[in-house]
Amino acid sequence: MKQLSIMVDMDRCIGCKTCVVACRNHHNLVNHRSHMPGEIPFYIKVESQAEGTFPHLKEDFWVSPCKHCKTAPCATACESGAIRKDAQTGIVLIDQDKCTGAKKCIEKCPYDVIQFNAEKNYAHKCNMCYDRVIHGQEPVCVEICLTDALSFGEKEILKMQAQAKGKEIIKKMSSQSIIYVKSAP
Amino acid sequence: MYEDGWIPTVCYQCKAECSILAHVQNGIVQEVKGNPRARGKMCVKGMAGITSLYSKERLTHPMKRVGERGEGKFEQISWDEAMEIMETKLRALHEKGEGHKFTYSMFPHSASDPKWRFVNAYGGFISTGLPHCDSGKIMAHLHTFGCFPNHHIAPIYYSVPKDGLMILSGRHPFGCMDDACVAKDILDAKERGAKLIVIDPIFRPEAAKADWWIPIKPGGDASFFLGVCNYLLLNNLYNKEFCDKWVREGDMEKLLDFIVDKTPEKMSSICEVPAADIIKLAKMVAEAPSACIDAFKSIMYGNAMDWGQVWSIFLVITGNLDNPGGQPMPELTPMAPVNPVPTPPDLKELGYHRTGPNREKFDHYNFILEPTWYAAQAIKEGNLKIFFATECNPALSEMGAAAWREAVSMKDDDGNYMLDFFMVSEILPSETMKWADLVLPDQTNYERWELLYMPWWYNYSHGAALCRPVVKPVGEARHTNNVIIELGKHMFPEFFAFKDDVEYYDIELGGVGMSIDKLMENGGMWSPGTAGFYKYKDKKKFDTPSGKIELDWNMYADINQQWPSPELPLEYRKDEEKFPFILVNFRTIFLNNTGAWSHNNAQLRDPVSGLDSNPIMINPVDANKLGISEGDTVFLESATGKVSSIVQLTEKIKPGCIGIIHGFGQTVGQVATLCSSFNDNELIADAGSHLDEQDLRGGEAHVSTRVTIYK
Repeated sequence: MKQLSIMVDMDRCIGCKTCVVACRNHHNLVNHRSHMPGEIPFYIKVESQAEGTFPHLKEDFWVSPCKHCKTAPCATACESGAIRKDAQTGIVLIDQDKCTGAKKCIEKCPYDVIQFNAEKNYAHKCNMCYDRVIHGQEPVCVEICLTDALSFGEKEILKMQAQAKGKEIIKKMSSQSIIYVKSAP
Repeated sequence: MYEDGWIPTVCYQCKAECSILAHVQNGIVQEVKGNPRARGKMCVKGMAGITSLYSKERLTHPMKRVGERGEGKFEQISWDEAMEIMETKLRALHEKGEGHKFTYSMFPHSASDPKWRFVNAYGGFISTGLPHCDSGKIMAHLHTFGCFPNHHIAPIYYSVPKDGLMILSGRHPFGCMDDACVAKDILDAKERGAKLIVIDPIFRPEAAKADWWIPIKPGGDASFFLGVCNYLLLNNLYNKEFCDKWVREGDMEKLLDFIVDKTPEKMSSICEVPAADIIKLAKMVAEAPSACIDAFKSIMYGNAMDWGQVWSIFLVITGNLDNPGGQPMPELTPMAPVNPVPTPPDLKELGYHRTGPNREKFDHYNFILEPTWYAAQAIKEGNLKIFFATECNPALSEMGAAAWREAVSMKDDDGNYMLDFFMVSEILPSETMKWADLVLPDQTNYERWELLYMPWWYNYSHGAALCRPVVKPVGEARHTNNVIIELGKHMFPEFFAFKDDVEYYDIELGGVGMSIDKLMENGGMWSPGTAGFYKYKDKKKFDTPSGKIELDWNMYADINQQWPSPELPLEYRKDEEKFPFILVNFRTIFLNNTGAWSHNNAQLRDPVSGLDSNPIMINPVDANKLGISEGDTVFLESATGKVSSIVQLTEKIKPGCIGIIHGFGQTVGQVATLCSSFNDNELIADAGSHLDEQDLRGGEAHVSTRVTIYK
């Protein structure tokens, strides 16, 4: 299977949110003039998990975009056939022209990553910067990552790179197009 | 003049001023990223700068006050009228021979910032909040090494070798950067085998990435490192060869006399770090090829001069000066002077913190700029008459902000304001604007020229970056540099004989064989790419009076402060029963602190990409004792202020401390007023009202604050 993927090195992610804003700027998601906090669409978000009690603490940070599922529930749910998994890249794409605004995809997405443009009545989400990657560029989040925590490529190659660096894949977090890795404790 | 494409310029969402590329399409900035010719990174604040640029709240025309100060009522006026108002006020004060009663609160973008030039020509002073953050470290550089007084002087993380130690002491370089590349550089160093040690009362992302987190009592870093130095010296683990060669004769003996009783055990009782950990770190330092300490900023303590001196002692006895992985010693970029250069007035003689009845108290105060923290006191004493503020927000950023607001509103017996005139130039509505007589719309970094070569931050002076206009300015916004140059041409034509800002920068760039055009053709940068190492070996001396490293600060011998005190700041040692908690106020990467830019930047106040509130953080151990639960609304009270907010229970703070995030509290602007927040400076004392407690060596004023918390 062809699957372009993003690998998140949790040894390096500091949860800085730079990718969130760079992604919005690139995909023109922000109305700089009028958007207010809490109403700006986003294709990627930062999550974290702290464990332990003072002073024995640890905390991980990671980013969470669309996972471009193998059998995408959003695509299955869409009755207008607007969502497909691209055979060449493994990227799940929404065709805005076909989208009827039924929001079925949003209901079915297990990761809550699909946005809705109420004004123009269509669903939209991370397309792994499809227009860039098909011309040999990385997704914007990978290019601008403040700490170089993200890397991009074919899933099997990313896995080999992780192994070469001595990183463990966090299987319970990883899914189709996102691989989370970390040094062994 | 404007073109589409990826244009090299400079970010100005914070003072780090990173080199960036702006993607302009059809005359609009679409996206931005780090300039690969520089260090190639740009942070979330910088990325959100486009939202400030195109915000509908941009100030677009000059305005003058129509109500009382503080009401925030204005009417639109022309630029001609605004210029006339400023010139009339400035001339009147100058003709009275009181030019020194003019201060300009700003962040100079270079040592020859045109605004600073005007202030020097006028005979006034610039004032900044900079001494709040770094005065101790700057003075340590001056006193001990004779080094150019750089601002923050971070370690060169990309130079840290395998097994080198990177020590962050109360410092959050992931959240308050010297350059957007710093987090990457630290993590890269870790990957090649360097160790990251974080000494901090709160557990932030730096601690999460650290090899060793050492929770410490706030203000305990001077005692902690004195304990480390004691162990190194008394166990002969210090760099004797370096000290024998470079330290002033007699200083090592005096240091040993001073430090012999600063044992790890004794220091442990002050900083609340086990003596075994102090010794463990000392042993690690002795074995490491290099060690650096990044400190001062995110958490600021009131014993900064003591800490600055301990910091310099540590660097000297371990030989970590101007070496890879140690402490860099920056120089000033050799720009050409634009002659004739105006001579500034004598700060020591005429600075406003020296003109009041208590001026003799500050005879030792030796800092290079006027600190803003005495502004309220100076206004009350009649020593400050005209106040200009650009790119700063003293109504929020000033410690004791309430006292500042009161002072700028005070009237004399005739009903005239004690502060005769107050001008603010800004790009977005600011809290400070409410008290201004005149508000001028400034341009963002995407609309203006600026030459940046101050050795702030991470370039160590070996570089210059050009900020250039990439899009047309909005409305009637004018870059304040040009406004001030125009005033200079009217009032002091001999010092402003150049055509405009671009010609001014062109002349300066001649000093390094560059010009504006050459920079524009070459990625917007002049950067030979090295800060240089061991420069003192080339010079065969340090630039101190003795030519050697001077550990004994004998200029303070008459007040018996030539050596650092290990004690906590004075404010932490009093009123412990009434105010049982120590306030830890810190910063995050999502905000630009008190600057007006992020208060009204929708992306930086958005919960997904920024931060929308600053809760009161408390350890559950403390909360349980007080019967306080997550989400409770509580009061937080200090000796001088009181705020109310929501509680957040967190294991990530040392018991006995209360944490709050700096950079909130604005009441002006649609975005800012959406937030649930308060300003931490409401809790911090105004320096002018606590003069008896000042560090008379010129260290930080009152950032050390005790608080009590109750429902």
